[in-house]
Amino acid sequence: MLTNSSSLKREDNVIHLTYKDIVMIKKEMIYRNPLIKLGYENEDILQNGGFGAVLAHAGVGKTALLVQVALNAMLREQPVLHVSLNDAVSKVDVWYQELFHNIAANYDAAEIQDHWDKIQPYRFIMTFKVEGFSAPKLEERLTDLMEQNIFKPHTVIIDGFKFDEAGRGPLEQLKELARKYSMRIWFTVHTHRHIPQQENGLPLSFLHVTDLFDVIVQLAAKGDEVYIKSLKGKSTDSALNDLLLDPATMLIKDGK
Amino acid sequence: MKIDNPKIRNIGISAHIDSGKTTLTERILYYTKRIHAIHDVKGKDGVGATMDSMELEKERGITIASAATYCEWKGYEVNIIDTPGHVDFTIEVERSLRVLDGAILVLCAVGGVQSQSITVDRQMKRYKVPCIAFINKCDRSGANPFRVISQLKTKLGHNAVAMQIPIGLENEAEGVVDLVSMKALYFDGDNGEIVREVEIPQNLLEEAKAKREELIDAASVFSDELTDAILNESGITSELIYEALRKGTLQRKITPVYMGSAYKNKAIQPMLDGVNYLLPCPSDVENVAMDMDNNEELVVLDNDPEKPIVALAFKLEDGQYGQLTYVRVYQGTVAKGSTIVNIRNGKKVKVGRVVRMHADQMEDVESLQSGYIGALFGIECSSGDTFTSQGTNVTMISMYVPKPVISAAITTKDNKSQMAMAKALNRFCKEDPTFKTFVDPETNETIIEGMGELHLDIYVERMRREYGAEVTTGNPRVAYRETITQRADFNYTHKKQTGGSGQFARIAGFIEPVSDADFVFENKIFGGAIPTQFISACEKGFKQSMAKGPKLEFPITGVKVLINDGASHAVDSSDMAFQACARGAFKDAYLRAKPVIHEPIMKVVVETPTEFQGPVMGLLNQRRGMIIGSQDEDVMCVIESQVPLAEMFGFSTILRSATQGKAQFTMEFAIYRQVPQSIAEKITLEAAENKKSAA
Repeated sequence: MLTNSSSLKREDNVIHLTYKDIVMIKKEMIYRNPLIKLGYENEDILQNGGFGAVLAHAGVGKTALLVQVALNAMLREQPVLHVSLNDAVSKVDVWYQELFHNIAANYDAAEIQDHWDKIQPYRFIMTFKVEGFSAPKLEERLTDLMEQNIFKPHTVIIDGFKFDEAGRGPLEQLKELARKYSMRIWFTVHTHRHIPQQENGLPLSFLHVTDLFDVIVQLAAKGDEVYIKSLKGKSTDSALNDLLLDPATMLIKDGK
Repeated sequence: MKIDNPKIRNIGISAHIDSGKTTLTERILYYTKRIHAIHDVKGKDGVGATMDSMELEKERGITIASAATYCEWKGYEVNIIDTPGHVDFTIEVERSLRVLDGAILVLCAVGGVQSQSITVDRQMKRYKVPCIAFINKCDRSGANPFRVISQLKTKLGHNAVAMQIPIGLENEAEGVVDLVSMKALYFDGDNGEIVREVEIPQNLLEEAKAKREELIDAASVFSDELTDAILNESGITSELIYEALRKGTLQRKITPVYMGSAYKNKAIQPMLDGVNYLLPCPSDVENVAMDMDNNEELVVLDNDPEKPIVALAFKLEDGQYGQLTYVRVYQGTVAKGSTIVNIRNGKKVKVGRVVRMHADQMEDVESLQSGYIGALFGIECSSGDTFTSQGTNVTMISMYVPKPVISAAITTKDNKSQMAMAKALNRFCKEDPTFKTFVDPETNETIIEGMGELHLDIYVERMRREYGAEVTTGNPRVAYRETITQRADFNYTHKKQTGGSGQFARIAGFIEPVSDADFVFENKIFGGAIPTQFISACEKGFKQSMAKGPKLEFPITGVKVLINDGASHAVDSSDMAFQACARGAFKDAYLRAKPVIHEPIMKVVVETPTEFQGPVMGLLNQRRGMIIGSQDEDVMCVIESQVPLAEMFGFSTILRSATQGKAQFTMEFAIYRQVPQSIAEKITLEAAENKKSAA
């Protein structure tokens, strides 16, 4: 935040911060996209119209990871639409609050509230019943919001989409929607233990749509730790696969 | 002697507005022979339902004050508290739940679990009130009790099980099949008073068998005997099923669901049987009080009429014979002529008349034993006071009371009205802790404060009707607050030498924002720069400044004051001088500490048919609302948002016209948040104008 050259005193070779600078540093909250460490240069990771997926068994942390991706976007003032096909609005909201508190653990309560108040308008939660969700319905809701200038998402999170039942058609429609409205969509993909994986780590039930996705990562629990493995996109090289999720906070921690 | 009172039920009827609570209560009173004619809520006959005893309630068709009444059903004594359904009166609902042992959660067969049902359910959870559910309005078009049961499971997390299945729905609603006795029940006679029990119609037999299986399966979790009976495939008696269900209900682990139509007189009697079989008696519920002699340690009360008295005044009413105090006796016996002590002020009171209430009629009784609800005459007290025997020093746990968020000035036409208004306000404040009043010292106006626009409206109407006070109200005002956003130092000297003894004081230190308290004062003066005897005067001066911000005159919150230096004069320094100095220092530092205005933000939940989702979101957005999310549920959609209270005036009318009257909303206080700059400027201007006109 040192844009003011007068606050630099070269003779001491020390940067002196004025009071104003300190306030500004305190106010700014930086939280990197947890997936950027897989080797991406851009915080968005996905391009406009792009699809990303987080694969895992039940309860490993798919939603937690995508909520962090969403929080990163919100902190960058990019609007996020969170579509949940499992949970009520209040429950989704709790996910965000919990993870935001974990991310902002170093701040005091008033500052956390202040930051939260600032970023909350960049999030919109929609919940549907699984059977009631479709691309045309989502588009109808989106137009309601966009026409009235209420909300225009930059990133969409879809949590709870049934890949094994849906077939390819609905996803193609969603892809079209993502392109049309310049959005990127992240999905959670629930994998089942009884369904065998292919060599590339992808479950059989997901193969028919893999080509629609630009980035696919997998969460795998090993003992007390959760590993993030890149299956498609950057860093599929196993040597780089060292991202770990802390099961207590569900935040990324540096790998071994 | 400990008497067991298994045949007493203290129950409440809680639900969303307009789901038919008062009609249901009316039918209960009719079937239990407490009244001999049935009136509708919005009575065409001009009489109105018995429980809506206030004139205003009858007119608006809503229940405001919860009237208590008692009736008898098949040898059981049932005390019923009718509770208001509108969220503005939530304090009434909370108070009722505090004194109840069980509740009937009334749901609409068409609307299902609505936003208010969620609030009421949360309150029931807070006070651990076991409940059964009654799905009303099965005669309406679109009724679907099983959808409501599934909503009870998904939205409220209840383990809901059907006790009945309907025989016909909508226009064809005829009766119900009781899944415990496996009989079909029809309700004959002009008012459905004759219950006809016959064999289940063939076309419903299969469904009934399947649903009974589900019921027994759910109940068996709570009874080994029932599980054994199921395994042996014999001896599954009604008693065994009810016993298991009762166990689960008392633990709040199962919610038995009855269904019918109060308006069409269908299936009220079986639900009353359910109250007898399934809801707790006073000894089933553990009530605790705080021991004032023992550091407010919690003590469990014993439901024994021989023990010292512990009773809670949970509601006051102004009747024609003076103040009527509704009490719930938790321990001991409150008898006519006995002396009780009001724990709040230590005053001894002699009990005069003891009555049991039936809406606005009453009957005299000799005493009220533990477990009973009744009313006392001529006792001066406030709502929420605890009464005990002499020598017992316990208090019932205080009830959660939210702070008011809206205020309005009221003025009277003449002196007579002034007197009547004073009397009315005094009464309302005692009755309702969320309603407050005070006189603004500057404008000399009487200000009333409450929980919402409707809340204040109702009290103003009551003033007019019940007390004959001709009052007019000013525009409602939002309870804004001011706070500071950064630290500011001060070093202020107060000096006055105008003849006689002078005034001298100097205080130095700083003020800074604090998030978890309204006001913090810290003294860091060492070496006697300010003599110790003046420190409290300093604190007092700073505290006085908090009452009104120097610029906008809203109350200030969240400020920490630290003093670390100062000076005094041997002759000219005094308490007064230091108080004045502190006020000056605060004013000086406050404006440099970047003050901001905070406003109350309300959580607004709108339920609307899906086709109006867009317009409703637009309405909320126009009101500076932030939409948290939308929840699609078949034909209906629930929109959760946070909207500043200042933007919510008149919202109900606008919402109605935008949605053809099909949407409804609830509103409750959520949080205080900083006002945006443009709005703050507007408020500043308004405040300046008000100040000018007041001067």
